[in-house]
Formats: sequence, structure tokens, C-alpha cells
Amino acid sequence: MISKAEILILMPEIFILTLACLILIVDTFSQDPLRRVTYYLSQLTLVLTAVLVIGFSPEQTVYAFGNSFISDGMSVVLKTGVFVISFFAFLYSHEYLKEHGWLKGEYFVLGLFAILGMMILISAYSLLTVYLGLELLSLSLYAMIAMHRESTTASEAAMKFFVLGAIASGMLLYGMSMIYGVTGSLELGTIATNIESNGDNPLLVFGLVFIMVGIAFKLGAVPFHMWIPDVYQGSPTCVTLFIASAPKLAAFAMAMRLLVDGLQPLLNDWQGMLIILSILSMATGNIIAISQTNIKRMLAYSTIAHVGFLLLGLLSGTPSGYAGSMFYIITYALMSMGAFGMIILLGRKGFEADELAHFKGLSERSPWFAFIMLILMFSMAGVPPFLGFWGKWFVLKEVVDAGFVWLAATAVFFSIIGAYYYIRVIKFMYFDKADSMTAIKASKQMRFALSVNGLALLILGLMPGALLAICVSVLSIAA
Amino acid sequence: MIEQTVFYIFSALLLLSAGLMITVRNPVFAALFLILSFFSTSAIWLLLEAEFLAITLVVVYVGAVMILFMFVVMMLDINLSALREGFARYLPIGGMVAISMALSMVLVINAGEFGLASDTVQRHGADYSNTKELGVALYTHYLYPFEIAGAILLVAIIAAITLTMRGPRSSKAQKPGEQVLVKSTDRLRIIKMKSEGADSEPEKDPLAESKLAQSEDITVKKESL
Amino acid sequence: MDLFENMEDIYLAIVLAPLLGSVIAGLFGKLIGRSGAHWVAIAGVGVSFVLSLLAYYHLFYNGGEVYNAAVYTWLNSGDLHFEIGFLIDQLSVTMMVVVTFVSWIIHIYTIGYMVDDPGYQRFFSYISLFTFAMLMLVMSNNFLQLFFGWEAVGLVSYLLIGFWYKREPAIFANLKAFLVNRVGDFGFLLGVAAVFMHFHSMDYIEVFEQAPALASVTVNIWGDESWSLMSVICICLFIGAMGKSAQVPLHVWLPDSMEGPTPISALIHAATMVTAGIFMVSRMSPLFELSETALNFILIIGATTAFFMGLLALVQNDIKRVIAYSTLSQLGYMTVALGASAYAAAMFHLVTHAFFKALLFLAAGAVIIAMHHQQDMRKYGGLYRYMPITWITCLVGSIALIGFPGTSGFYSKDAIIEAVHLSTLPAAGYAYVAVLSGVFITALYSFRLFFMTFHGQEKMDKQTWEHLHECPRVVTIPLLILAIPSLIIGAWFAGPMLFGDHFAGAIHVAEGHAVLLELGSHYHGEWYQIAWQFFVHAISHPTVILLAFSGVFTAWLLYIKFPTVPEKFANNLSMIHRLLVNKYGFDDFYQKVFAGGAKGIGRLFWQMGDVKLIDGLMVNGSALSVRWFSGKIRQIQSGYLYHYAFAMIVGLLLFLAVFVHKLI
Repeated sequence: MISKAEILILMPEIFILTLACLILIVDTFSQDPLRRVTYYLSQLTLVLTAVLVIGFSPEQTVYAFGNSFISDGMSVVLKTGVFVISFFAFLYSHEYLKEHGWLKGEYFVLGLFAILGMMILISAYSLLTVYLGLELLSLSLYAMIAMHRESTTASEAAMKFFVLGAIASGMLLYGMSMIYGVTGSLELGTIATNIESNGDNPLLVFGLVFIMVGIAFKLGAVPFHMWIPDVYQGSPTCVTLFIASAPKLAAFAMAMRLLVDGLQPLLNDWQGMLIILSILSMATGNIIAISQTNIKRMLAYSTIAHVGFLLLGLLSGTPSGYAGSMFYIITYALMSMGAFGMIILLGRKGFEADELAHFKGLSERSPWFAFIMLILMFSMAGVPPFLGFWGKWFVLKEVVDAGFVWLAATAVFFSIIGAYYYIRVIKFMYFDKADSMTAIKASKQMRFALSVNGLALLILGLMPGALLAICVSVLSIAA
Repeated sequence: MIEQTVFYIFSALLLLSAGLMITVRNPVFAALFLILSFFSTSAIWLLLEAEFLAITLVVVYVGAVMILFMFVVMMLDINLSALREGFARYLPIGGMVAISMALSMVLVINAGEFGLASDTVQRHGADYSNTKELGVALYTHYLYPFEIAGAILLVAIIAAITLTMRGPRSSKAQKPGEQVLVKSTDRLRIIKMKSEGADSEPEKDPLAESKLAQSEDITVKKESL
Repeated sequence: MDLFENMEDIYLAIVLAPLLGSVIAGLFGKLIGRSGAHWVAIAGVGVSFVLSLLAYYHLFYNGGEVYNAAVYTWLNSGDLHFEIGFLIDQLSVTMMVVVTFVSWIIHIYTIGYMVDDPGYQRFFSYISLFTFAMLMLVMSNNFLQLFFGWEAVGLVSYLLIGFWYKREPAIFANLKAFLVNRVGDFGFLLGVAAVFMHFHSMDYIEVFEQAPALASVTVNIWGDESWSLMSVICICLFIGAMGKSAQVPLHVWLPDSMEGPTPISALIHAATMVTAGIFMVSRMSPLFELSETALNFILIIGATTAFFMGLLALVQNDIKRVIAYSTLSQLGYMTVALGASAYAAAMFHLVTHAFFKALLFLAAGAVIIAMHHQQDMRKYGGLYRYMPITWITCLVGSIALIGFPGTSGFYSKDAIIEAVHLSTLPAAGYAYVAVLSGVFITALYSFRLFFMTFHGQEKMDKQTWEHLHECPRVVTIPLLILAIPSLIIGAWFAGPMLFGDHFAGAIHVAEGHAVLLELGSHYHGEWYQIAWQFFVHAISHPTVILLAFSGVFTAWLLYIKFPTVPEKFANNLSMIHRLLVNKYGFDDFYQKVFAGGAKGIGRLFWQMGDVKLIDGLMVNGSALSVRWFSGKIRQIQSGYLYHYAFAMIVGLLLFLAVFVHKLI
């Protein structure tokens, strides 16, 4: 039976669901073309849910609802990360939608549902909840992309994402059914112990391959990455920003739950798969990004390359490796949010600043935001002392410690190739003449948020110890 | 023995109808074959004593979803030749992939792995309620996933409405009350205009009130000039 | 007292106040305007100075404890702890007071000197930043932070030498300074790395504690040759000091650095940064004491610098360059003291030198202002009539420099000479002769400068002469303030610093090397008694004083009495003169062999390697091929949904084949 304690543990999820429904109703009655009430209520919901998550964070790992829900250190940290990032993403989105004139209240409601999906995914401890969380998240995202009906590219992106996502979740589900069939349990902990006691079985690896496809698709690892460039480029920039940031944390959590919590005994198998995915991703992402002229598409390939790096930490198979990956994904989410935020900042009604050429001469138009973009690009390229460098450093260190020196060398090699296209953006900003000297039109909030976003990379980069310590401590308890 | 015979009949029917569903040219037939495959599945579920699921499948999918689907298929004019274009071209490579996938599955999966080879399905008495068992499981042990599923459906509804609704549409019905109240001046307005091609006139705001008077003023001024 | 309870906060404030000032002046310079910038910078350093005094008081008079702790752990990575920590003992607190005091005075002086400069705010931002970096260096408790400070002061120095970045020589000079320092830093980094490799720690105290145990360890660097570990570490570290403190043969950057604004020459290239090497060696005394090889090496380098660089000052005509060579020579003196294990004497000379050399530079700066940025002394003369304050302060600086009895330079220099005399190291004999004859040279060039500038015939052009007047008070007051310690601080601190327990615990001297202890056995009592005994000793053993006076006398003869004589000397002894003017050919040699050679090799590599191989084949080639490749594989991204789905299924099959069926 369900106890009161279990309900309490689930409080943040219940709260956000209730508020999302409430906001939906409030929005229906709202006449305001700027949807201020909806927007502010959504932001308030995020803040309050964050407070609840931190407030209800358990001392040690707690399971609820027949072990289908887990609340541990990792879930608290990742959820908090999701809230912070979503808060910024909502802020940027509101600015973007206002400017481009298709502001709809449902955008934020769907966003909240997507966040609920992420929370469920992060806290999932059974195959069923993993799947449902993933579906809730994906469904909300499909709708958010397609929401701008006038844009044909958005519809195309939504369609591609939807179909490929359906294929991927079909495969995931099939893999899960295999695992369930062999172990007789949906619950991840039991699955792990069953595999441990019953030994090796080709069916398990068979199921694992399908599950791996689902994970790789969600993360965007080669060769399951095909949706990323098209979706990133086709979607409205605010949606791209959202997709490229917070859901990555959830995807990381999904990988952690399935591979580490559930299928740890198959480490040797999934390690091999991750190595292949990682190398392919780093190679493909970094190389193709070079020939892009659209910055959204370039960032999409950069995402793929970053995922390759992220996988390095996971495949090292140690708690500190997972911590490195977690650090990496948080930093990545911050960086990609900032980069897409810059595109929003430079855009205006009827104009998307999504070509690389639009960044030409930015240092003359706005020295400050050129500087912020410089931080973002250097951070993505992994130049010390920016935050991105530390992500790469920790992950590489773990890979070397796990004995894959050649893999670390490959990673460094590809990240050097990758530095080219990041630095090219900087070259455009500082050494090229601007095509037009249009003043940047953006609200104070937007400017402030973006500045905070950029400077955070610098400041956290100067003192990465605290964030890393958090990552290490929550994962060493979990393992 | 009879049970097994029935099982094989329905299984064969299921595979056949599913195969035909994706190969027949006419989409209406395809939908009908899909209905047939649902029926077969439902029969197999009955053999497994899953009465509730079997009935739900017939009621929901066959009764509601598929009928709706039939309507859509019949109403839309789907260009079949476009859909089939390239089928032959991609058949070899697609077939190869399909075969290797099937081979891979066959090599790995066998019933023994799932512990189903020896045991037969456990039988229940007449008072056993399949519906109640499902309900108990859903609302206690699986409450959390059940609620998430509810949230997913809600999102689906919101998404569907957001993506299709284009705001309240103005109806084109007549409004007799307004028709009666209308005055002749609302219908017809006499404006004096000078002939085209004359000296340019200062542009006037067309929405300004008392156009008549204004235009008269202008003509007066003109004359005085 | 409550004030001293939170010393950590005070130490943090000492470091951060200049940084804050720098950031505000630098980033918001336009916003706060010129006066805003100098106020904020001066306030920052002023706070730092007052708090340093407080720390000094706390440690010496209030019975405060030596502070050694990490204030912030940046990162832990295995054995390596990246920490920011402070070691506040007698040594560092002395440096802190000197650095902040001189820096503060120079901040004030800058208001007058840079008054017309467009880069006013930038300048204040830089010098405050320099103060921050220097304090980080001095207060560090570990090698990593030391290295950070070391590089940071180098960087600011680079920026400031090239402050007038539109002037060709300034750019040349800052590049030169940067490159030469790189050579030293390379040695320094090797030293730090060797320390970490063998001690597994970056913390000073931990390293010092382990040092005696590792004294006899030897390492193989080249083949089977085995070297004492301590010698290797110490010589590597000292090479770093040679770069920073401009010792032969890495001295060439310092004279050129005079292209920077004069306040910088005073602060960075005379009083503080260049003494970082001296400070570092004193700090590492527990290591250096374990290697006599290194000490001999230091003695030779220091003595050579002290004597030969002094000689060069004789033929220079640029007023700042004369002082620059004098700085080199004085740094040589300090280095000699280090080699003789008289670390306290080196530190003492460092302190007194900081005051009187900063004074001399600022006085020269005042002259330069008055002469409209004319720096050639041959165009000066007779200035004492027009600039009395500058004249008197410059005289104070000069007599302190030559070691006139009673001035601060007298005590510190005498101590060094005596210490070298007592040292038993093999190189001490050479060093003694060098430093002793250096006294004569010092007096000669100091008063050559003094006479040529302030006395004799007025040789400036008419226009300059008409506008000749004393500098504003914002310039002269710093001169007066600096003149006071230049005169008296030596007498006051000679006793405690040299023979007392001023540096007890902070400096370690091995049994056989305790020259200062031996010297101290002749001096007893309170500070004024010791000062008096010094005086008496100097009179009773008059060699040093006589040398100094004869130097002054010679200068008077040559530049006042018979001003044509130097010309004749130059003509008759053209060989020697040319040798000196060419600065022994160091610069030309480096320019031709290293710079030229590097350029030549560079050109070769550029043409052979870069243009053809790298640009042609690798960069452009690889860039092209990567681009080509990139363009090719992006075609996989066709945009067709079924291609994407197909790719996914192929990927899936691949995984199945590899991991389930083990086909590969």
C-alpha cells in the first residue's frame, strides 16, 4: 500500500503537475498578449519545485512506489540543474516568443510537462518509469517544436524528431522487454542482482543493444544522431535552446539508471558499445561541424561531439568517471544554453541570427556580448580556465585512469580539430567587418541573464572544485 | 488439444492479416486487415484468460480507433503511387536488413530463455475476475506509472489542440436582428469625388468621421482657389 | 586585541584590495574618470599598505604567530593540490611592507608623472594589478602559487614596458624582456617540477622538512653522470631567479625595459619585481643550504653582475639606463650575499635598495618631466638651481647608493662585503674582489650621473631652459617621503635584521655557512649601538669608505673639474670604451646568435616546414582534406527521414553483430 511518506517523497512531481494543470486553466482565461501571468507563474513553479526538491532531499537513498521511484543525491543535483537551466531557458524563450510574435501560453505548460518528464526520468528506478518519463518528455518536446505552425522547417523538424523518436523508443521498449523476459523484473535493482546471480546470457546483451540504441538516440550519439542537426536547425531557436540544454541532463540520468543501476553486471559489453559510440560521435561531430555555415547546425554537431566526450566518463565504469560525466553534462548544458541565447539575443522579428556570418564584427556592435560569446566558444573548445576545459580534463583523466590512454589521445585529437570551428566564430566576431551595424535590441532581463550565463562559465571555471565535489560526493554514495 | 488448434488458427490468421495489411495496395483493405489482426489478437488473449484486455481491444481499437481511421482513409485522397515509389528500388537492401535482423533474433531468442517452455498457463476458477486483478495492480503497485501515463495523455491532448486549433472561427450565419436594425445611411454613402487625373489632393484619412462633410469642404476650398 | 583575531581576513584583504582597485580602474576606467581611477587604485594599495603594517606589527611586536594555511583549495588532483595559501612569516611580512609602501608612493607619484597620458586609467589598473601579483608571489606558501605570482608579475611587467605600445623600441624591449624571462622561467619551472617529483608536495614547509633527508640523493640527468638532486633543483630555481633578477647572462632585458614609464622602472625594475629572485632564493634557503655547488654558482654569477654591470653604467648617457645598470650591479650584490649564505644581508640590502633606488628613479623621473622627456644626460647640467628638492633627494639617493657612512646603503652594503669576506666557499675570493672594487665603480657612476645632471654647465636647449622649474608637489612629496627611509632605515634595522632574530625561523643557514653569525659576534647591544659600531668599524677599516670617496672624487675630477677628460679617455682607450658601449657584446651576441639564429632557423622552418610542409600539406592540406571529407560525409545527412531511420537500423545491426554474435 502507498504510505504517506511515499507521497511526500513524490511531492515535487505532484506539485509541478498540479501547477502545470492550474497554469493551463489560468492561461485559457488570460487575455494578455504577452502572457505575463502564465510566464511568471511558470517561473514561480520552477522556483518552488526546486525548493521542494532541495527541501525534500533525503539523507540517504529512498525508494518509493514499489521501487519504481528513487530519490538519491544524483537525482537531487540533476533535478536542481534542470530547474536552473529551465529557468533560464524559459526566460530566453519568453523574450524570443515575444519578439517573434507567436507567444502562446501552452508553450510554458508543455515546457513544465517536459520538465516533469525529466524529473520522472531522473528519478526512475524501473524500466516502466524510465520509458514513461522518456515518453512524457519527448511528447512535450515534439509539440513544442511543431508549435510554430507558420514555419515549415519547424514542422519538418517535429515530424522527423517524432518518427525517429518513435523508432528509437520502440527499440528501447523491445530491449526492455528482453531484459524483463530474462530477469523477470522491471525494477532496476532486482534486474542487477538477478543478472549477477544467473550469469551471462546472450539475450541480455541482445536486449542491452536495443536499450543502448534508445540511450544513444536520446543523447544524440553517432550513428543515432541523425535527428539532431535537422531538429536543432529547424526548430525555433528558443525550442532548440531548451532541447539542447535541460533534457541532456535527463538523458544522462537515463543512461546512468539503465546502464549503471540496472545493467552494471554487463559493464564489459556496454563499455565496448560506448567506446564505439564515443569515437564515432567525436569524429563525426567535430569534422562535420567544420563545414557548417549555419551556427545552429554547427552547434548541433558540436553537441554530438560533446556527447562523445560525455560517454568517455561513463565508459570508464567508475564512480569518479560517472562524476566526471555528470560534471561534463552540467557544464555542457550551461554552455549550449548560452550559445543559443546569443542567437536569440542577436535575432529580432522576422530575422534569425543563425548564420555564422551574422556574428561578423560583433565586437564592434557590442563588445560586451562579443566577449560573452568568446567565453562561450572558448569554454566549448575546452580552453582553460573556462568551465568547459575542466569538464574535458576530468573526463580525460578518468579515461586515462581506466586504462584507455589511446582513447584519451583520440579524444584530444578530435577536440583539437573541434577547436577550429569554435575559434572561427571568435575570428568572425573580432576580425571581420560587420555586415550591418544594427544595434542589439534586447530587454534588460535578457542581457542580464546572458551575462550571468557567460560569466558563470568563467567564474565556475576559475573554481571548478565545488561543482566537481558535489558530483563526486553524490555518485560515490550511489555506487 | 482443441485449445492448441484454436491458438494456431488465430496465430496464423494474425500473421497473415498483419502481413497483408502492410502489402495490400488499397488503404481501406489495409485498415480492414488491421481490424482482423486485432480480432485475432483478442481471441488469443481470450485463450490466455485475459478477458478484460481482449474486450478492451475490441471495444477501443476495433470499435472506436479503427472506425475513425477508416473514415479518415476514405475521406483523404491518398496518392498511392507516390507512396509506393522506390519500393522496388529499396527492396533489396531493405530486405537484406530485415533478413539479417530476423536472423539475429532467431539465433538469440528462444522460448526457453523466458522460462515458458515447460509450464502451461495457470488456470483460474470461475470466480476469478481478471478485471479486478488488473484494477488492483494498476491502482496500487503501478499507481505511479499509471499516473504518468495519465499525464502523457494530457500532454497529448494539449499538444493536439495547440497544434490544430486556429482560434475561434467566425461563423457565417445570418443575424436577423441586426439586419432589421440597419439604416439606409449605413448601407450607402454618397461621396463627391473629383475626376481622376486632376492635381494631387492631400491624402485624407479614410476612417475620419463625416467624410461627406469633409469632401464638401475640400470642394469648397477648391472653388475658392 | 580583537583586531588580530582574524588575521586570515586581513591577509586576504591585503592581497585583494589592490586587485579590486585594479579591476575597478581597468574595467570601469571610463566611468569613474581619471581622478576616480587614481583614487581607487591608491586607496586599494593604501589599504594594503596599512594592513601590511598591521601584520608586521602583529608578528614582531604583538607576539603573533607565523601564519601558514591554505585559504582556498582550488582543485585536488591526485597528489597535486592546487591551493592558494599564505605563509606569513618574518620574511614575507617584510617584503609585504616594502612592496606595498613603495607601490603606494609610486601610485601617488604617477598622478604627476602620467598627467597628460591618454592611458592614465590603464596605467593605474596595471600597477595595482602588479601589486596584487607581487603580493601573491611574496605571501605564497606553495610553489604553485609562487609560480603563478612569478608569471603574473612577468606579464604585468611585459604590459608595462610596452605601455607606450606605439613606440617601436618599447615593443622591442617588452618582447625582449618577455623572451629572456622565458629562459629563466623555463629553468624555474624545471626546478618546481623537480621539487614536486621528488618531494610529492608543493607546500614550502613540507618540502623544507623533507629536504635534509634528500640531501644526498643523486639523479641521472644525462647518461650515467650522477648529480646531486639538491644542486639540480637549486640551480634550476636560481636560473629562474637569474631571469627575474636580471643576473648575467640573462640581464639584457633590464636596461631595455627602461622604455617603460619611469614609475614602472622605479617600482618594477628597481624596487620590487626584480628582487623577486632574491626573495625566492632567501625563501628557499633550506634547500640552497644543502648545495654548496649551487652557492658557488650563485656567488660567481652575482659577483660578475655586480662588477661588470657597474662598469657599463659609466658609459651610458641615458639617465635611466645609468640607474638601470646600477640596479643590475646592486642586484649582483644581493646575489653575492645569497651565495655567501648571508640571506639576511641580501634581504636587508633588498629593503634599503628598494627605497633608495626607487628614490633615484623617481628623482630621475622628476628631471625627465622638467626636461620634457629628454633623457640624455649630456643635455642636462646645473639643474640644482632650478630643482632644489629633486637635487637634494637625488643626492640622498646617491650617497645611500654608494654607502656613505650613516645612510642605509652603508649598512647593507658593508654587511654584504664583510659577509663575503668571511665566507669560506671557493668562489668567495673572486666575489670579494668584485664587490670591493664595485664600491669604487658605484661611487663613480652615481656621482657622474649626479654631477652631469645637477652641476656643471647648463647644456639644455633654450626652450627647455625657459620652462625649467621644480615639479609639482605630487611628485616632490613622494621623493621626500622616500628620502627618509633611504637615510635612516639602515641604521635602525642593521642590528635586528643582520644579527638579531628578525628573520628567525624564516631563513635557514647551515652550520658551516653562518657568516653573519660570525660577523655578528663583533657587534652587540641595541640597534643604535650596533649602528655606531658599524660606523666605528668603517672608520677603523677604511678600505671601503676610501674606495667610495675616491669614486666620488674621480667623478668630480672628470665631470666638473676637467670635463674634457672623459672624451680623451674614450678616444685613447677606444677598445675598452667600445667594449663597454657595446655592453660586452651580450646584446649583439644574443641578437645575432639567438634572435638571428632563431629567425634564420625560423625562416628555414617557415619556408621548408611551414609554407611547404605544414601550410601546404598539413594545415591547408589537412584543413582542405578535413573540409573535403566533412563536405562528403555531411551528404549522409541527406534530410530524408528514411535515410536516418536506415542509419539507425544499420547501427543497431552493427552492434548486434559485434556484441551479441561476436562477429568481429
